[in-house]
Amino acid sequence: MRGRVDWVSLTLVALVALGVSTAHAQQQHKYKLKPGAEGTLCLSCHADFAEKLKSKFVHTPVKTAECTGCHNPHTSNHGKLLSASTKTICATCHDQIVPAKPVSTHLVVVEGNCVRCHDPHASNNKANLLQAGNALCAGCHKTIADALAKIKFKHSPVEGGCLNCHDPHASGKSAHLLKTAMPGLCLDCHKSDSPSFQRQHLNYPVAKANCVSCHNPHGSNTAGILFDTVHTPVASKRCAQCHEAATSPDPFKTRRPGFELCRGCHSTMMNETFSKNRIHWPLVDQTGCMHCHEPHASTQKKLLRAEEATLCGTCHKDTMEWQARLAEKQKQERAALKGRPEKGVFTHQPVQDGACSTCHLAHASDNDHLMSQASVVEGCGACHDWLKHTSHPMGEKYVDPRNKNLSLDCLSCHRAHGTGYRYMMTFPATTELCVQCHAQFKR
Amino acid sequence: MGMGMARLLGSGLIAACVVLISLDALGAERVRLRHVTSIYFDEKGGSVKNPEGVACNDASTLIVADTRNGRLLRYTVDNRTVKPAGEIRAPQVSYPIRVQMNSKGDIFSLDGKQRRIARFGAGGEFKGYVSPEGVPSPTDFIPRSLKVDRNDNLYILDVFSARVLVLGADGKFQRQLAFPKEYGFFSDLAVDFKGSIFLLDSVKAMVFVAAKDATTFTALTQGLRAHLSFPTYLTTDSRGGLYVVDENGAGVVLLGQDGSFLGRQLAMGWNEGLLYYPSQMCLNDKGDVFIADRGNSRVQVFSVVR
Repeated sequence: MRGRVDWVSLTLVALVALGVSTAHAQQQHKYKLKPGAEGTLCLSCHADFAEKLKSKFVHTPVKTAECTGCHNPHTSNHGKLLSASTKTICATCHDQIVPAKPVSTHLVVVEGNCVRCHDPHASNNKANLLQAGNALCAGCHKTIADALAKIKFKHSPVEGGCLNCHDPHASGKSAHLLKTAMPGLCLDCHKSDSPSFQRQHLNYPVAKANCVSCHNPHGSNTAGILFDTVHTPVASKRCAQCHEAATSPDPFKTRRPGFELCRGCHSTMMNETFSKNRIHWPLVDQTGCMHCHEPHASTQKKLLRAEEATLCGTCHKDTMEWQARLAEKQKQERAALKGRPEKGVFTHQPVQDGACSTCHLAHASDNDHLMSQASVVEGCGACHDWLKHTSHPMGEKYVDPRNKNLSLDCLSCHRAHGTGYRYMMTFPATTELCVQCHAQFKR
Repeated sequence: MGMGMARLLGSGLIAACVVLISLDALGAERVRLRHVTSIYFDEKGGSVKNPEGVACNDASTLIVADTRNGRLLRYTVDNRTVKPAGEIRAPQVSYPIRVQMNSKGDIFSLDGKQRRIARFGAGGEFKGYVSPEGVPSPTDFIPRSLKVDRNDNLYILDVFSARVLVLGADGKFQRQLAFPKEYGFFSDLAVDFKGSIFLLDSVKAMVFVAAKDATTFTALTQGLRAHLSFPTYLTTDSRGGLYVVDENGAGVVLLGQDGSFLGRQLAMGWNEGLLYYPSQMCLNDKGDVFIADRGNSRVQVFSVVR
């Protein structure tokens, strides 16, 4: 029985090997080219291509004159007579570019947009890159590139090249395409056991911490490449003001939980916050102030974790997704108008800009929805001054005919976050809105 | 032949189960909220202002947290007629945002400003703040919401220490359950007739559950963002069905005991029967549903139509 199994296996292996060999031969002679005609034949028409082939780095199939490795010389369903879609053709050979379980992937790679970085034929840059060094990355990552050009304190590996820390395709180990997860990546260069390192970090075991909690890995205008907005206790090296002593068993543990820790210094702000009727509830949960603020350093003012739109949108996804849909609608409607004047917008600019604090207070308020103004009319009037001279009757003395407990204000007809209708009105047609109250005109 | 018969019976049984489950689901989907009346005033004709809380019981009592006016209002509900029955105004509760009642008619009111739970007797007398004995470390807690079960046990959603505190009817600590590891922000909790505890994650639009004797919470639903914008309140009916109030979406979503989506009721607007930033809701055994229609400064009464 055992012998029989072995024979079957051997036969199978032989058949597979034969199949592979036959397939290869078929591929090689698919177009029945004359000997030596591969590539050379193509160049007879694509003469200008010969110059390209003089480049320093030539893609292997091009070098071996296997144009048919990527192109079909006769017909194709894809542009440039490619034998497969531009999104998939590179992966035919380079299928190991992305690890099986990537932690992070470069968007262009996921989209199969390899030609954004590589020349598929030849280039004077290594790996057939379109540009050498950081210039290629800077083409898309302009914000970082612009910041790098201006910063005072540079991080030398960044100047050496983005690929010192990042894998351009995908990372199986870390977010942000990092070659190694932090802090390991940093510790490859920065020796945490050196006396100066320990002294700088006040003997806290930061080798186990997240370096980018304080340091901007791309460089900054602050010594020690700390993020530009630094929390005062960090800047003055008073870590123990918030954390347990460096020598304690749990040195990174904070001295108090949640907002209670921050209250020690920010007591005036906290007392004011807690005297309000309504609090922004995340402020009093376990994470507390850290929902929105970085405890050590940040690129944002007031140590915010991100710009407002991103920050508020972390929890208020419904609002942000709605804004994205409205922006798209506005774009489509404008395109449809073909330059004709637009009557009424779909979006409220501060909301679109993510400037939530234009109307809302982040910590607490005595008003609904944490509005900064008690009166809707006053709140809107801060920007829309027409309210103060000519408008529909509004204010406390005008009762909303639909609801005897409401008075008329801007939100009787509009919604500040948009409705999907022009002028952010609550009904698609003006008459439809007006007859909600002026029922006598209803048809 | 015997085998064939068994298969036939098996198939029949499965088909019957499928039909029964479908009928059950259909039955649940047929739940509708029909507007009955709205409450705008107290007994002196004063307006209700931005009420955020409602509590009801089967003894025809309705308590409204008249938030902006800083008071609690009592009403009686008789055959769907609602009559004002006095107010409770106490310095201990200046901004009531949620209310609950136990079987004795005691009222628990969460104050948004102080973030403390005040307890009032059935007659409206202040009985003190809920200050449980024997709470394990950390002893500090900040309640975001509360619920009372059929046995008068009090469940507190303690956001500060990320746990649910369970107190007995005598106010003494019974047990605690830690929040699950991955969550956005819990705005509410609910307890059903079986003693299961539910948590409502507003950010992820998810519901978590811990069965009566469970020590941890598990996800009951996936993210329900397709049906909910920003849910902030959760309650159960006597059959174990879950009602989720969608504050930003101005609606009520019905979920089955297994977390299945059974439908969405009501919509945004100012006219009666429509909601504008609703907050708390309450159901009694008579099929009355009360919703604190905060943005419309009223409480709306609906009846459950099945």
